[in-house]
Amino acid sequence: MIASIKIFFEEVAHLAMFTFQFFKQVFKPSYEFKEFIKQCYLIGYKSFPLIGLTGFIMGLVLTIQSRPTLVDFGAESWLPAMVAVSIIREIGPVITALIFAGKVGSGIGAELASMKVTEQIDAMEVSGTNSFKYLVVPRIAAATLMLPLLVISADVIALYGSYIGCNINGDVSFPLFILQVFEKLSFADIFPAVIKTFFFGFSIALIGCFKGYNATNGTQGVGKAANAAVVYASLGVFIIDMIAVQLTNLF
Amino acid sequence: METVVEIRHLKKSFGKNEVLKDINLKIEKGENMVVFGKSGSGKSILIKCLVGLVQPDAGEVLILGKDICKLNDDELNALRKKVGFLFQSGALYDSMSVRENLEFPLRGNKTNTKEETEALVIEALKNVGLEDAIDKMPTELSGGMRKRIGLARTLILKPEIILYDEPTTGLDPITSKEISHLILEVQKKFNTSSIIITHDVECARLTANRMIIIKEGTSDITGTFKELSESKDETIRAYFQ
Repeated sequence: MIASIKIFFEEVAHLAMFTFQFFKQVFKPSYEFKEFIKQCYLIGYKSFPLIGLTGFIMGLVLTIQSRPTLVDFGAESWLPAMVAVSIIREIGPVITALIFAGKVGSGIGAELASMKVTEQIDAMEVSGTNSFKYLVVPRIAAATLMLPLLVISADVIALYGSYIGCNINGDVSFPLFILQVFEKLSFADIFPAVIKTFFFGFSIALIGCFKGYNATNGTQGVGKAANAAVVYASLGVFIIDMIAVQLTNLF
Repeated sequence: METVVEIRHLKKSFGKNEVLKDINLKIEKGENMVVFGKSGSGKSILIKCLVGLVQPDAGEVLILGKDICKLNDDELNALRKKVGFLFQSGALYDSMSVRENLEFPLRGNKTNTKEETEALVIEALKNVGLEDAIDKMPTELSGGMRKRIGLARTLILKPEIILYDEPTTGLDPITSKEISHLILEVQKKFNTSSIIITHDVECARLTANRMIIIKEGTSDITGTFKELSESKDETIRAYFQ
């Protein structure tokens, strides 16, 4: 038990040092701009179809499932607004971040871990390249910037899914749907929800890079790193979300 | 003779396991030093200490007159460009073609034009006899080819010292001999100094100017291939059988 607690705190300390190293390297010239653009493409653009599909299903299903309850209360006209608030404030960012953790977090963890165990990272170091700056910094920066864009896209697609859901058992025109959505949405719903996604993206890539970059034990270590990256990144998303909700409620 | 590598009283432990207890050695310019030792005797740890991949617990490691333990990150990276390292597996970057692998160490050099970089890549590939592999991916290469490309990537920075980590392991005898001859060619052509970690007696016979056997964490057993292989001590002769 004591050994487990010790290991946990050692891991937290290493993660803190890794984070410090990121902030130290991210502002220090020279910049790996080409690699950053490549990672934005791989992390952002390549994740769009999966995130888009998930967003559409999320909006559609939430609308269909919520409808009977609202009908019982005679509040069917509230359906677009209720679904929009749920999606934009909470479900959109969290579900998108979880999908992102599964795809991008595990991908980063597995890629860096396999590079580590096959000595490719060592090869970079001995050729005089700062491997942390080349591999870790662009991935974390790209994920931090790409996840908010993916969440915004997913929210828009989810609202379209909701519009279709509303029209399966009802008849709502698109302008009326949009009007009902924005009638109840305020800046205070959108802004904190977008801000927290930067932290989601940062933590997912940070954990993926940390687990991959410090992988050991050959191919077994690659699997472990990929698995741990998803589990801890998903947990991180919920913890950050909980803190974000508390902070938002303060204001 | 100019000393390019000097190790004084090097020690390295992992937990309670004292791998290197007291390593002392000197390598002169243009000399090939072969390091023998049992598996787990710390041979690879020794050469990783030379490029700062592993931090020694005690002792001095002087590379081209500089103590690598006292260098900051930028100074260490500058020194690493003068020291080539050929990994056991080749350690080619999977996601890059052979061309991109060879261009990678040159990316920090902003003075090279695209044409100059291309010429350096082709020259490095010619040195290892694999010009045709330029657009292949690492997965398309055989074990011997991967090692040759790894050597080409090492040579592209024109290092003064090359560290070979088991260059012939996992290769058939003919390819092993080709790699050993390539090591000799590189030594003659570029006047490089090398440390060659190997278990391959034939490779040691072909390439060694001097040898060292790491036993019980020390480097006391040293001599030429002939001296050590014909030693009166049976335990030393056992390494050559």
